[in-house]
Amino acid sequence: MHLTAELAGVRFAYGAMRILNGVDLSLSAGDFVVLAGPNGSGKSTLLRLCVGLLRPQAGTVRVLGGSPLDPDVRRRIGYAPQGLRVAASLPVSVTEVVAAGLAKSKGWLRRLDRRDRRRVNGALESVGLGDLSAECLFELSGGQQQRAILARALVGEPELLLLDEPTTGIDQSARPAVAAELRRRADAGVTVVAVSHDPDDFHQVCDRILLVDRGRLRQVTHEELHTHIELGAAQ
Amino acid sequence: MSRLFLSFFLPAYAAGAIVGATAPVIGSFLVQRRLALMGDGMGHLAFAGVALGVALGVAPLWGALVVAVAGGVALEWLRSRRMLAGDLSLALIFYFGIALGAVVLTAIGRFDASANGILFGSILTATWSDVAAIGALCALVVGVTALVYKELLAVALDEETARASGLPVERLNVLLLVMTACLVAAGMRVVGLLLIAALLVVPVAAGSRLAHSFRDSMLWGVGAGVSSAVAGLGIAIGQGDLAPGGTIVLAAIGAFLVASVVGRGAARRHPRGAA
Repeated sequence: MHLTAELAGVRFAYGAMRILNGVDLSLSAGDFVVLAGPNGSGKSTLLRLCVGLLRPQAGTVRVLGGSPLDPDVRRRIGYAPQGLRVAASLPVSVTEVVAAGLAKSKGWLRRLDRRDRRRVNGALESVGLGDLSAECLFELSGGQQQRAILARALVGEPELLLLDEPTTGIDQSARPAVAAELRRRADAGVTVVAVSHDPDDFHQVCDRILLVDRGRLRQVTHEELHTHIELGAAQ
Repeated sequence: MSRLFLSFFLPAYAAGAIVGATAPVIGSFLVQRRLALMGDGMGHLAFAGVALGVALGVAPLWGALVVAVAGGVALEWLRSRRMLAGDLSLALIFYFGIALGAVVLTAIGRFDASANGILFGSILTATWSDVAAIGALCALVVGVTALVYKELLAVALDEETARASGLPVERLNVLLLVMTACLVAAGMRVVGLLLIAALLVVPVAAGSRLAHSFRDSMLWGVGAGVSSAVAGLGIAIGQGDLAPGGTIVLAAIGAFLVASVVGRGAARRHPRGAA
């Protein structure tokens, strides 16, 4: 099975603060991996390295057979950053936010057509927002906004999904549906990497839980993750 | 009499309507990106361009265009390399442009009534050749925006995610500023360099009170821009001695107030809260 992401000896620091200290990771098509760890441990940094927003200070990062700096590689990645980054300066419809996920893959000088609108509606349906497509994003609840951001990452039918805290703000009752949708994508061959603070969000559907611990990755079980979190809280 | 009146002022109305329709198109992206004051910075820079153009014997429109475009490119270069904070770089450009323009115009003995027209507009003396130049610049702005609308919107909504998707964010930012410079140069004659930023922002603000999407906000803004330009010009012509640039911008602010009241009333009648 070919590798969709391969990190070897990756080191990264913000100034003098070392975040990643020799990370090795191999992901294949259809892998569903959860990245866990305390705040500031480097989970988001790892995703940003994979999508080319940051460059490693040592080591190599290859995704989808190429460099994450290559725009043609990037357009095959679905990325959802942490939190809502859309400024509430002007009204923006849910459809417009999700359709922005097609801007690169559609190509220059080509307008979105009926097929693209179907893809947007399909992505919205898959996260349970099908009936809110015409609403203004800022009139939705925090969880609905988060689902719209997730739909934007899904709409381009990417081969690699990098999701930073995709369940933030989403009701506990709605989270299993999000997890099931991501599992369905992984079963279809998409590699899914989701950062999560909540050990219960994805443990029933993911293949591996990787704990970012002291700058390195360590595979843990769901129970070990709970223990790690409880120990961290007790300290 | 009325035919003479119409033929005399028709170019002014045409120029006002063209700029009034185009400014909100580009202004929508600036407002969404919280760069609403960029038009102001460009206007101030363009004043230096006009002055240099006069000194070199170049038409004011082209002097303004060249310097505003160069300034926009330089500004984005500095911003993208984090060499200047956004508001600090704008402030430097404000002061540099106005100061250089004033120094050059006084040095060549041309700091006279024409400078007033550059700063506050001189639309009533617009000719059909002015309308053609303004129309060409505005058509370029609208045409380019239509071609790269989805890319500009993706960047305006979330620059980091747009970059992560492989879009050339820096080049799109430069393109946006170049189009802003074109609009500033085109609007110089209509409302002047000190007020052109208002046409970029105020009609968009009015449109945002009536819309639920970026596209509708832009379209309402275009409507507000055209009606403000026509109404403001009509008031200035009707009163005889009012500055048209000022009446156009005041009409736009009036449109914003009306849109705010109408939008609030509509929201009360049809609440669209989160499900």
